[in-house]
Amino acid sequence: MRILDWIEARTGLRTLMGHALNEEVEGGARVQYVFGSVLTYLFMQQVVLGILLGFYYSPSASAAWASTAYLNDQVAAGWFLRGLHHHGSSAMVVAVILHMLQVVWAGAYRAPREVNWWTGLAMGGLVLAFALTGYLLPWDQKGYWATQVATGIMGSVPGGEPMQQAIQGGPEYGNLTITRFYALHVFVLPISLTLLLVGHLALFRRHGVTPPAGLSAAELKRKAQPFWPNQLFLDVLAMALCGAALVLLTYQTHGADLFAPADPASNFVARPEWYFLFLYQLLKYFEGPLQIVATVLLPGAVAVTLFALPWIDRAKTRKASSRWPVLTIVGLLMAGVTALTGIAMAEDAANESYQHGLEVAEKESAQARALALLGVPVAGGVAVFDNDPKNQTRKLFKEHCATCHTIEGKGGAEAPSFVDYGGRAWLTALIRDPGDKRFYGGTKAHKTMEPLSVEAVSDAELAAVVEYVHSLGGPELGASDAALVAKGKALWDGKLECSSCHEVEAGKDSTGPTLAGRGTAAWIARSIADSSAKDLYGDTAEMPKFAGKLSPAEIEALAQYVAEQRPRE
Amino acid sequence: MSSSDDRGAPDGAAHDPEDRSPEAASRRGLLKLGVGVLGCGLAAIPAAPAVGYLLYPLGRERAVGAFLPVGARTQFSATPVRIDLHADRVDAWSRERDVKLGSCWVVEVDGKLQAFSTACPHLGCAVDYEPGEAKFKCPCHRSAFTATGVVEGGPSPRPLDTLEIEEKDGLVAIRFQRFRQGVPHKEPV
Ligand code: FES
Repeated sequence: MRILDWIEARTGLRTLMGHALNEEVEGGARVQYVFGSVLTYLFMQQVVLGILLGFYYSPSASAAWASTAYLNDQVAAGWFLRGLHHHGSSAMVVAVILHMLQVVWAGAYRAPREVNWWTGLAMGGLVLAFALTGYLLPWDQKGYWATQVATGIMGSVPGGEPMQQAIQGGPEYGNLTITRFYALHVFVLPISLTLLLVGHLALFRRHGVTPPAGLSAAELKRKAQPFWPNQLFLDVLAMALCGAALVLLTYQTHGADLFAPADPASNFVARPEWYFLFLYQLLKYFEGPLQIVATVLLPGAVAVTLFALPWIDRAKTRKASSRWPVLTIVGLLMAGVTALTGIAMAEDAANESYQHGLEVAEKESAQARALALLGVPVAGGVAVFDNDPKNQTRKLFKEHCATCHTIEGKGGAEAPSFVDYGGRAWLTALIRDPGDKRFYGGTKAHKTMEPLSVEAVSDAELAAVVEYVHSLGGPELGASDAALVAKGKALWDGKLECSSCHEVEAGKDSTGPTLAGRGTAAWIARSIADSSAKDLYGDTAEMPKFAGKLSPAEIEALAQYVAEQRPRE
Repeated sequence: MSSSDDRGAPDGAAHDPEDRSPEAASRRGLLKLGVGVLGCGLAAIPAAPAVGYLLYPLGRERAVGAFLPVGARTQFSATPVRIDLHADRVDAWSRERDVKLGSCWVVEVDGKLQAFSTACPHLGCAVDYEPGEAKFKCPCHRSAFTATGVVEGGPSPRPLDTLEIEEKDGLVAIRFQRFRQGVPHKEPV
C-alpha cells in the first residue's frame, strides 16, 4: 500500500477515484440502471477494437477491400476482432433502444433532466452515423451498394444534392468517399460522442438516477446504497453478459461478412444493416414524389417528437399511469419500427431472386477471398479476380477469340458458338442444321456439310449417331452407351455415308475434320494451334493459326476453357 | 490529505447506519471482488486476441522464393554477366507483378554456372565486375573478389554470396535471396 500512498500523495488519483465512485444511489442499486453503463462499456470496446483494426486497415478505393480481406482472413484473430467490432455496433443499437425505453418508462426525460435526454438522443443519432459510415469502409459489394442507397436518398431530397456530393467527395464514389467516411468514422464521430458522453455523465451525476416514482423521499434515503460497489457490480455483471453474448455471436457467425470487392459495374442485392431495415421497408410504400415522406418527413417527425417529449408530457407526476399519452406514442413508434423490420425480413425471406442473388454473392465472396490470399494486384478491389488463372484465360479468349466465337453468352457470331459446346445436344443440333448461326452459319467457307432432316434420319437414329460421335472423344467425355454406339457406327458407315468426309481414326487426313478425340481439350488445342491441319479443316480453315502467337500453355488453357463449356449430361 | 473525505471512503464505508454490520461489509467485499474479476474478463475480450494480432506476421516462416527463369544457358560464359531478377512481390495484402527483386552475376566456373548476389557481404553495396582485371570490385569500401568470388582484399568478411542456380532443358533459373551483411558466415535473412 506504500506505493499507492506515494501515488496518491503526488497525483490525488485515489481521491479522484473516490469522487467518481462514491455516489449515493437513491432508493438502492437496481438492474434497470445498467443500460447506460453497458453502452459506455460497448463504446469503449468499440474504440479499442477500432484502433486495433486501424493497425491493418488502409482507407483507399484500391486498398480498402484488400486490406480488410488480409485483416480478416490472414492476420491472427483478425476475423474475431473485426467480428466483435461489427456485432458490437449491433449491440450498441440494441442497448441504445433499451436505454431509451427505460428512460421513457421511468420518465427520466422530464424536468430537470431534459438536457440529459437531449444529449442522449444526440448520441443515439451518432451511434447510427457510426454504423452508416462504418458499413462502407470494407469497400465490399454489400457496403458499397447499401451506402449508395443512403447517399442516394440524401441526394434525392430537395437541396440535398450538394450535401451528397460534399460527403461523397464528388458525383461518384471513389477514393474521396472512402477517406471522408473514414475520417468521420474514426475521428469526428468518436470525438463528438466522447464529448457528449462526458456531458451526459456529468449531468447524470448532477441529477442522479431516476428511482421508481412510488417511493417517498424518506424511503429513498433509507434504501440508498453506494454506487461502488453495489450498483457498479450490477453494471459490470450486465456488461459481462453483453460481452459474453458478443463473443458467442462472433464465434457462431465466424465474424462479420466480407463480400466480394465493390464493383461499380455490377448489380448487387443491397440491404442495409438490420437496424435500418425499417427505413428501407418504409421506402417501399412511398414512391416517386412521395418518397420524401419516408426519407425525411416521417423520420424527421419521429426525431422532433422524441426531442419534444419533455414538453409533450404534461403529467403532474412521474408515475407511469399518469403518463399514458407519452408511453402510447413511444410504444406505437416501437411497434411500427418492429413491424416494418419484421415485414422487410419476411419479404426478403420469401423473395427468391433476393435469395438467389445472396447465394451468388456468397460464392463470389468466397472466390474473391480465396484469391486474395495470393495478394491482391495493386490495382486493388476487383483486380483480385485477375489472380484466377481462369480469368486470365477469359481475358485471352476475349482478346483473341471473342470477335468470332461466343462463350458464356458474349462474343461474335462469325464462327461456331461455344455455348454448351460439344455435348450430345450440341452435336444433335449441329447435325440437323450445320448452317445454323450457332454452328457454321457465320463462316464463309464451311458450307459443305449437308443438313440431315428428320426424313433422312429419325430422332432415334440420330441419337445413335450422336452417341457414336460422342464416344470418339474417348473417356475424357464420359461413358457412352455401347449398344447405341454400335447402332450409330452402322448408320455412320452405311446409310448416312458420314465416313465419306469424316475419318474416325487419329492421324488420317479427310475432307471434314477427323473425329478421333473430338471435343477433348487436346483436340481443341490442336484446332486452335492450327485448324488448317490436314486432319482438321484443311484448306477450308478460316481461323488464324495461333501456334507461335500464343504459348503452348496459353493454347492449352484456352482449349481447357472451351472444353469445359460442355454441359454435364 | 487522506482519501476519506466527508462523503465517505471509496472502499465503501457505510452510508447508511444499517449497512455497518459485518455481513453487509463482507457482502460488499464480495461485490468488489466480482467487479474486479468480471472487469478483468471484459478487458481480456479484446486484449487477449490483440497480442497475436498485433504481432502478425512476426515469427511466421517466410516462404522460400521460387526459382526465377533468367533465360538460355547459352548467354553465359566465363565472363560474368549481370542479370536482374524479376518476380511478383507480395506486400501484406497487395501483389505487385514482375518487380525487380535484385541482381546477380552469373559466371561459368569449371564448366558449371555460378550465380553471385551483387550485394557486397560487407555492407551491401552492389559489386561491379572489372573485365580488365577479371575481378569483382565493390565501389564502397574497396572489397575485391576473384572471378570465383573469393575475397582478395578489403573489408568483406566472406566470399561473394552464391545463389542457388538450376539448369533444365538449356534454361537457367536462379533463386533470389538476401543474406546478413558484415558477418563471416552466410546467413539468409
Ligand atoms: S560495402 Fe562493399 S566493401 Fe563495404
